[in-house]
Amino acid sequence: MARRVAICAVAQTTWERNKWQERFQGMAIDVLDSLRKQTGVDFARKLQKQKKKKPGINMTISVSDDLFDARTISNNAMTDVLGGHFGCEEKVAQEGLQAIYYGLAAIQSGHNDIVLIMGHCKESQGQSRNMVTHVAFDPFYTRPVGLDFCAAAGLQAQAYGAKAGLTDQQLADIVVRARKNAALNPNIKELPQVTAAEVLNSAMLADPIRQLHAYPVSDGAVGMILAAEEIAVKITDKPVWITGVGNSMDSFFLGDRELTSNAALKQAAARAYKRAGIQDPRKAFDLLEVSDQYAYQLPMWLEGLGLCDEGKGPEWMQAGNLDKQHVNMSGGMLAGNPMILGGLVRAAEAALQLRGEAGDRQVAKAKRALAHGVMGPAGQFHTVAILARD
Amino acid sequence: MTTAKDNCFTVEGKLALPYQYFAGSTGSRFLISLRDEKKIKGLECKKCKKVFVPPRSTCEVCFEDISQNWVEVKNSGVVTGFTIVRYEEPHQPVKPPYILGLIKLDGADTPITHIIKGVPLTKMKTGLKVQAVFAKNTTATILDIDHFKPMAEKPKMEMGYTYDELEIGMSASFTKTISETDVYLFAGISGDFNPMHLNEEFAKRTPFGTRIAHGALPQSLIAPVLGMKLPGLGTVALEITVRFKAPTYFGDTITAVGEVVEKLEKRRWVRMALRWTNQKDELVAEGTALVMPPVPLPE
Repeated sequence: MARRVAICAVAQTTWERNKWQERFQGMAIDVLDSLRKQTGVDFARKLQKQKKKKPGINMTISVSDDLFDARTISNNAMTDVLGGHFGCEEKVAQEGLQAIYYGLAAIQSGHNDIVLIMGHCKESQGQSRNMVTHVAFDPFYTRPVGLDFCAAAGLQAQAYGAKAGLTDQQLADIVVRARKNAALNPNIKELPQVTAAEVLNSAMLADPIRQLHAYPVSDGAVGMILAAEEIAVKITDKPVWITGVGNSMDSFFLGDRELTSNAALKQAAARAYKRAGIQDPRKAFDLLEVSDQYAYQLPMWLEGLGLCDEGKGPEWMQAGNLDKQHVNMSGGMLAGNPMILGGLVRAAEAALQLRGEAGDRQVAKAKRALAHGVMGPAGQFHTVAILARD
Repeated sequence: MTTAKDNCFTVEGKLALPYQYFAGSTGSRFLISLRDEKKIKGLECKKCKKVFVPPRSTCEVCFEDISQNWVEVKNSGVVTGFTIVRYEEPHQPVKPPYILGLIKLDGADTPITHIIKGVPLTKMKTGLKVQAVFAKNTTATILDIDHFKPMAEKPKMEMGYTYDELEIGMSASFTKTISETDVYLFAGISGDFNPMHLNEEFAKRTPFGTRIAHGALPQSLIAPVLGMKLPGLGTVALEITVRFKAPTYFGDTITAVGEVVEKLEKRRWVRMALRWTNQKDELVAEGTALVMPPVPLPE
């Protein structure tokens, strides 16, 4: 039996359109201070010097994107606040939820006992988020036609809309609900409430995606402390166990994929469910946090996660299941998290719920939750993590 | 702690890195063929039979080396998905709004993403057949195809109603004002220079008191009804009978109406009732026609 691993503390900054007054490091240090205060743990190297027996953080996993940071090896400049000097450091440049996978593996292997995860991103610093994601495409076949993640999402949204019969009104309802939920989330700032009519009248970006269907440009940082069971129970009285993680990557070229098949997400979910011993995902979770970068993705990803039948996402939503199943009580990604941190924030939100610390958005007696992260054009890569409390 | 913009600043920067991308030997062959021969090539996996465009040297499913299995795919294909890009970014090759489509080329299994022009944005649909328009200036990228445009449709031969499509009670009409010019031209066409049509002084002494049109002139207005409307193009008129009821004066507006009254099953012919009226709703003439409706044209 592998070691049990728990999220022992989570912390995040507020999520804003432009934290012009904050450096990456400044955002991260606020998060680190909170994590240390919550758990009382310090970095192991300092403690060894003091010859104390108290366990410390012996691995740091950073999450950041080189192009959003406009510097290569974007974790290098963060090491002082990550405790990475003379410590063990690792970086995730994929989706932030992957850091939980790395941390889980590092602890289960016995190499490390306490892992710090720290993700940061300021999407506001680049002239345009689309210019950054454009460079994810190859220079010969897909970049020349102007592809970026928004255009790729447009292609997928069109295909999914045609398959599942998703209407403009339903898309508007998703956005209205996300913002209503976000109003109860004190970490979300500067996100005005909108009416369905306002969403329906917002400009088209890439048909059928409208301006208000897209997640807002966001800045912020999020972090966690993971620990092996024997330590976790000492540093927190509310450990949140990571019971299963799975991921899956689809083809690079959009034309190689069936854009509405959810092929990668289904595999990621199946792997996570198997590891967590989940038979029926429709009855398994008290809440779900899903990375909806664009409104159409919410019903589509929920189909891929097996919460409803294929092509039935819109009907399932219409029947009020988003509220019944407590999907994205935080507001989801539509309330604004940087792309690379979406899944990690989802896991942080799920952990807060399971710890009973979710304030006005708290789901009563939440015991098991799902967190989902996505990266790459039109959902190329997915991570699913299952979290539970005893 | 509060921070004001006057004691805290940002600087403008730019991440720009001149770079050379290597196309690879497989990619180069694809791009050279596109550039020099205007031919689009794909690579086929012999194991799973999938033809890949853009090219790659290894099948992503079977991990077979497919780098030598070149096949030519067509310059035409079908749109399997699309979006309309309406936001503007510096990396876009054309000014928005433009259509970005997934185009499955004939002979390939993996659609490529490319620009579609020549379709109204509101009329864009999946399933559209398109063909490549090659660029005048080569860039040795996929933009050696400048864009895709809808396949020129073979002009469809228009045809009237067939016997089976015709129903009793269907009717059609044609209306025209008869001018002095019409009458003089008709005189020339028919050789009928009767002074009652052309000589006002002579005509004053006839029961009509002024010049009138040839009877066959308003009668001929049934021809566009039968030949172009009902049954329409492809109809052969077999018999037309007319009884004249009132004269047509210069400036009269005549309406000719044809109505299907009988379907002759044995010969697959149709009998039609004909009526001509003027602007005062007076009956100018009436009659019948026997017509052979068009038969479907062979492809």
